[in-house]
Amino acid sequence: MHIKEHPILAFKRGRRVEFFFDGKKMWGYEGEPIAAALHANGVRVLRRSIKLNRPRGFYCAIGNCSSCLMKVNGEPNVRVCVERLEEGMVVGTQMAKGDLSRAKANPISSSGGGSGIRKTDIAVIGGGPAGLSAAISANQMGAKVTLLDRNSRIGGQLIKQTHMFFGSEKQYAFIRGIDIADILADKLDKEMTDVMLNATVLGYYREDGVLGVEENNRFTKIKPERIIVATGASEKVLAFPNNDLPGIYGAGAAQTLMNEHGVVPGNNVLMVGAGNIGLIVSYQLMQAGINVKAIIEAASKIGGYWVHASKVRRLGVPIYTSYTVKKADGRESLERVTIWQLDKNWQPLKGTEIDLNVDVMCIAVGLSPLAELLWQAGCQMKYIPELGGHTPLRGEDMQTTVKGIYVAGDVAGVEEASSAMVEGSLAGLCAAKSLGYDNGRFKELREEAINELMNLRSGPVSEGMRKGLEQLI
Amino acid sequence: MISNKDHENTIVCRCEDITLKEIRDLIKEGFKTVDEIKRISRCGMGPCQGRTCRQIVMGEIARTTGKDVSELRLSTFRAPTKNIKIGILAEAAEG
Amino acid sequence: MIEKTGVPTPQDLWKVFPPKERLEKGPVAIIECFQRIPCDPCYTACKKEAIQEFEDINDLPQIDFEICNGCGLCISRCPGLCIFIVDQTYSETGVLIKLPFEFLPLPEKGEEVDALNRKGEVVGKTKVVKVQNGRYEDKTPVISILVPKELSMEVRNIRLRKNND
Ligand SMILES: Cc1cc2nc3c(=O)[nH]c(=O)nc-3n(C[C@H](O)[C@H](O)[C@H](O)COP(=O)(O)OP(=O)(O)OC[C@H]3O[C@@H](n4cnc5c(N)ncnc54)[C@H](O)[C@@H]3O)c2cc1C
Ligand code: SF4
Ligand code: SF4
Ligand code: FES
Ligand code: FES
Repeated sequence: MHIKEHPILAFKRGRRVEFFFDGKKMWGYEGEPIAAALHANGVRVLRRSIKLNRPRGFYCAIGNCSSCLMKVNGEPNVRVCVERLEEGMVVGTQMAKGDLSRAKANPISSSGGGSGIRKTDIAVIGGGPAGLSAAISANQMGAKVTLLDRNSRIGGQLIKQTHMFFGSEKQYAFIRGIDIADILADKLDKEMTDVMLNATVLGYYREDGVLGVEENNRFTKIKPERIIVATGASEKVLAFPNNDLPGIYGAGAAQTLMNEHGVVPGNNVLMVGAGNIGLIVSYQLMQAGINVKAIIEAASKIGGYWVHASKVRRLGVPIYTSYTVKKADGRESLERVTIWQLDKNWQPLKGTEIDLNVDVMCIAVGLSPLAELLWQAGCQMKYIPELGGHTPLRGEDMQTTVKGIYVAGDVAGVEEASSAMVEGSLAGLCAAKSLGYDNGRFKELREEAINELMNLRSGPVSEGMRKGLEQLI
Repeated sequence: MISNKDHENTIVCRCEDITLKEIRDLIKEGFKTVDEIKRISRCGMGPCQGRTCRQIVMGEIARTTGKDVSELRLSTFRAPTKNIKIGILAEAAEG
Repeated sequence: MIEKTGVPTPQDLWKVFPPKERLEKGPVAIIECFQRIPCDPCYTACKKEAIQEFEDINDLPQIDFEICNGCGLCISRCPGLCIFIVDQTYSETGVLIKLPFEFLPLPEKGEEVDALNRKGEVVGKTKVVKVQNGRYEDKTPVISILVPKELSMEVRNIRLRKNND
């Protein structure tokens, strides 16, 4: 079902077009992801898995996980969570592996390749709050920037955040995430920053310092003097019986589906994880008119901010702490989840099982830095659970152990948009300065950013973060 | 309380269809690094490049070996970060 | 307990409730913010400077009930949606509560709706007195409702009837 009315969002949709799914005629909006159109038509099973023939739907909704491969216009292995719907498209359930020999017939990729190498002062990878802030401050110093994002819209996580942000005025507190994305995009110096959308950085070739980029199905190369990696984070998964049933989605994926594409993920939801993401997405599901049956949390305490927890409690959503998923059930897609209680040693307690009839389960058990590019580049990484997993070592100026490669935002340790923005500014300033650019205010701005970061991280909710960061800098 | 059957229905690697039972069996057989498990089972070699399953595999190894995840050796990463349509790369090679 | 349930205990609440004498004098803000988090827009929202400047952004908000006039401008500026106005002097029969409500459909003035407590349980019914949904509220509408006095420290949300059946 498409969302008709939303308290915060107005959805801009393309015209209504016809398409075909396994021979059936369906309607969708031109330009929405195929998976969203199918979901709105009640189709949640997108493919059969390659060996075990299990039904699969989408999981991440942003092109990360490959759970959603389908056959589109005869071409197999298309990620339908990002591929856009066109009139008359023929979409089919993919059985097992998909016939690769036909992939060459892909009409999109034959539209001419760019073999020339683009040069730029600084390549910023990722257009979330960190990347945007990096570009803005690098521009301020006088450096030219190429800003790349694989999404069709700029803003990263912000474009799904319908709630008001915390922080102080400087970090746009009380403004909604979606509006912060617009504010930052407006601040970009259009003369100094070349924005490339639908552009995925595929790899970093260490030998010649070149980035390989797929832009709108074409391959191009970029040779920057400095690189700022601001790729954000990806959602963690959970292992339990039938964890791959369609209807079990990353919380961020459900949020993308409903807040970016305007399609409801289902009718009754179980949220797994009471961190900020679990709490906020639960609230947003309720705003979209979807019933959240419960939020469960394996830890004995709510991890997110209490104000967010109180918000969902006032709506009548129960929060069960010390509970985890025992198993999921359903024939073709999710129908029921069994949860059970954990004792002090995290061992499940027999007899505490509760069955919940839900058609959606959202997994919000944390994020981990999306750091493949940093690994490729040979940056030194350290495993720091407080920051989400393997995180790059870096100096105070956000430079990694590889000279010329900087990091900012969630990829440098999963935190918040407020700190991501400040880290971005800092990385932008320092990368520009290292190339000799300075508008005369470098020292002052750098100091300001460092102080701001310290302030943000000074509270008790940032204790883990502080401990983690100490190991990195 | 959780049976073998349950582990057969718990998917670790969605791309390559590898179950928790298979991973645990491999660890029991002595494959104790992410790389070894990857080479023998293809777990982590699917189109998502292990983004989805790596963390579970690391957790399983850590649990059985009694090590901290931070002590585990990680597999190497090679470009590309996303599997792309063959046509695009072929064309880039030609052009 | 709030760290396990998301619901403040009476002990938590006593710490932030205005004294009885102040409640009897007219509208006042009740800030149900119990955790030190990096956040301060309530301070910047209050033009009367009833909320003390934050020395550290993680501080808990400190409100001076004598300066606060219950204008309610802070309600839609709080990302935690945890500020409420209570006016025990509103009328003989009931207490006026102003609360944030970010859902559709919005209630209409005069509409009878369910009154919910901090756990989302229905504790009575109430009448909507006013709906503020202008530019200032910026999609965080502020709803004024009338409740019996004994529920004025209980009711913190509403639910529309037509949604319920
Ligand atoms: C539900 C939810 C609620 C939140 N609420 C708050 C809040 O109230 N306050 C707060 O401060 N923070 C909040 N956050 C956290 C905040 O959104 C993130 O910390 C912040 O967005 C991180 O910014 P970033 O720029 O590092 O990453 P992102 O915003 O994730 O941006 C990364 C960008 O990089 C792009 N990218 C990744 N890989 C590639 C590649 N290889 N090539 C090209 N592009 C690539 C992605 O498409 C994306 O656009 C919330 C997060 C979630 C999920
Ligand atoms: S109700 Fe008005 S005076 Fe009182 S704290 Fe809020 S903004 Fe200030
Ligand atoms: S704005 Fe709201 S959540 Fe933030 S400190 Fe003030 S009362 Fe607490
Ligand atoms: S890649 Fe499409 S759902 Fe993850
Ligand atoms: S889930 Fe294992 S490689 Fe993709």
